[in-house]
Amino acid sequence: MDRFIVNIVHRPEMVPEYAEKVTGQGKAEDIGRGALLTESLDIFKTQQAIAHKNGLKTTIQMTYASLFNDEAVAIAKEHHEKYGDEISLSLLGLPCEQFREKYQTKDFCIWMFSMEEKKTIVRDVFGKFYDRFGFYPESTGSYYMDADLINFIKAEYPSVKCAVATCWEEGPKAYHTCNNSWYTFMDGGPWAPWIPSKQNTHAPAANEAEDSGIVAIPHLSRDLLACYDGNGSNFGTHPQNVLRGMIYDTKTWEYPYLYNLIDQYRYLAKFNNGYAYNMMFVGPGWMNKMGRWEAPYELLKKSYEDGCAYYGKLKKEGKLTDMTMSEFADFYRENKHYTEPECALWRDILYGSDKQLFWYCDPYMRVCVNMDQGGAIVDLRPYVAKLEWPVGIGTAHVQDASYPFLIQEKYRAGYFTHYAGEGTIRSAKICHNGEEVDLCLCRTHGHFSQEGSDRVLTLDPVEIEFSDLTVKLQTVLTFPEGTGQVKIERRVLSMSDPAAAVTVNEYMVACYGTTEYPEDMTSLTLAVQAGQQKEIIPYAYRCREASLAGADEANCTLPPIKTKVTMTCDGRDKTGYVREGYAFSPMFTLGYTGTLKEKEAFSTWLKLERAD
Amino acid sequence: MAQAGKGRLNYRCPSCFMRDLDIDMFYDKDKQEYYCIRCQYRGSEADVLAKNEMARFRYGAMSKRYTDFENFSEK
Repeated sequence: MDRFIVNIVHRPEMVPEYAEKVTGQGKAEDIGRGALLTESLDIFKTQQAIAHKNGLKTTIQMTYASLFNDEAVAIAKEHHEKYGDEISLSLLGLPCEQFREKYQTKDFCIWMFSMEEKKTIVRDVFGKFYDRFGFYPESTGSYYMDADLINFIKAEYPSVKCAVATCWEEGPKAYHTCNNSWYTFMDGGPWAPWIPSKQNTHAPAANEAEDSGIVAIPHLSRDLLACYDGNGSNFGTHPQNVLRGMIYDTKTWEYPYLYNLIDQYRYLAKFNNGYAYNMMFVGPGWMNKMGRWEAPYELLKKSYEDGCAYYGKLKKEGKLTDMTMSEFADFYRENKHYTEPECALWRDILYGSDKQLFWYCDPYMRVCVNMDQGGAIVDLRPYVAKLEWPVGIGTAHVQDASYPFLIQEKYRAGYFTHYAGEGTIRSAKICHNGEEVDLCLCRTHGHFSQEGSDRVLTLDPVEIEFSDLTVKLQTVLTFPEGTGQVKIERRVLSMSDPAAAVTVNEYMVACYGTTEYPEDMTSLTLAVQAGQQKEIIPYAYRCREASLAGADEANCTLPPIKTKVTMTCDGRDKTGYVREGYAFSPMFTLGYTGTLKEKEAFSTWLKLERAD
Repeated sequence: MAQAGKGRLNYRCPSCFMRDLDIDMFYDKDKQEYYCIRCQYRGSEADVLAKNEMARFRYGAMSKRYTDFENFSEK
């Protein structure tokens, strides 16, 4: 298999997000005004024409509002016949006079409604779709689709096999960028298509029993480095998002970054058995005649034309396959298996740094390894817990659909903290004669390989300089498929004094949460065990520590996210330890210390389990 | 003094943009300047455009077309 697949999705959104707020400034709100409806449909027609001109088929996601519009329905039918476009149904685009009159609310995000309202709205929208087209859709979507919603749709409308189900790393960062007014909290999901579990959309299914019955695709294909650090809505396969980020030359209207982004996604085939994926989904609000922020309409349109032209060029060269969403779901089912991970070795393509990240995602975890910090794990999501996390009105999480983290270096600090405390990170310290070097300060790069069912990330060796000793050390991370474990091996390749020994301290500082703010840690329990010996610390912010020589494991149980994280070790003189945090540093630490000599290795395993 | 409105294009505050905040500015036609409702920035259209160019300083590879995604010796 050697395939780069693109899904191009359009939605006739009769009242585009932003359009009423932006172009209607200075006027009283009127979502039924004729000019708005006409312009919206014109934009949809323009988008369709641009895709077809470049030989690309699309998925037309009808919105609730568009189902009341005869012309939109007629266009969808015509383009299905003429171009093979799929007629699909979006749960975005709910706002219209009919919806507001019927439901008496301005809410528009399907996952935020109560479960009863979700059911009522889904039945209404799907029923209306059936009335207009005579069949039920095979694909649907929203910015986010919670597990209960997906399960309900699949049960009621079994024809649905594909859905747009999350926006990658759209959470607190997007909220802040929008002046704390855009409530899409959905961090922690996969960046590429996956099969959602029945329990939690973000956590991929590990087997048929967990399979929700659909293939999920992300809303856009986003920059795996820029989006993790900055505003997700600037760095994706959405040409106007690139303009939003001001990533273009104002004199020439050129934006090589957009093509670099597409090409780096193509490159990911190297790490995923020859398969790579892109999704482009531009709502009509981004191409309105009034322009969008600094970009005039002409530039907005040009960028969409250029984006489609590039995909069209790749298709003509035999380097791209365009599919509808339902076609893609069939392809995905035929070519992927449940435990097969998604891997992405990703470089900076925007800022000009040499930074490189490795992202790994499977049904048990999502991991980010930062080569600029010596191969430290800087983000960790324990999917193995398959955390039941209902969202919407009437639940404990009205808006927050993010999958909780154990490690998140941006929200809970990483290596660097201000004067006190620790941040979340999984790294190691090398010590010699009272000097200590954290591998977070050893910048390097990594290389991917697949050995049997193991995915292996081998880092370029780094040199650690002490006052009287230089150590050449290599880190290798191994992800054995289907195990929920990561092995981290430190190999001493050489020492300036071959008889010397150094101390290694493998550690993981972690906590839990979905935002920047700390959670209550008092239900957590730390334990270190060696044979029959066991030391337990119930978390109470008292800065305690326990250690055992020859420990079999060090672990922490986190009831709020039903997760147990365990570290085990194979190395000379190993001693396991656990460390409680304190109020100013609400973290916990698991670790092992030991000794390393030339040509030796020190290995630790990080294991994730569901706690109950 | 009349109320402010939107300008020719919907400019964001360049100062806020540099701290990852997208905030529309409003236009004071009496003073012929855009101003930010959140921070203290205000300036003419020419100044906004100049500051937007400045904001691009962080995009060191904005004009570069990458042909290799693992070769770090390529500059």
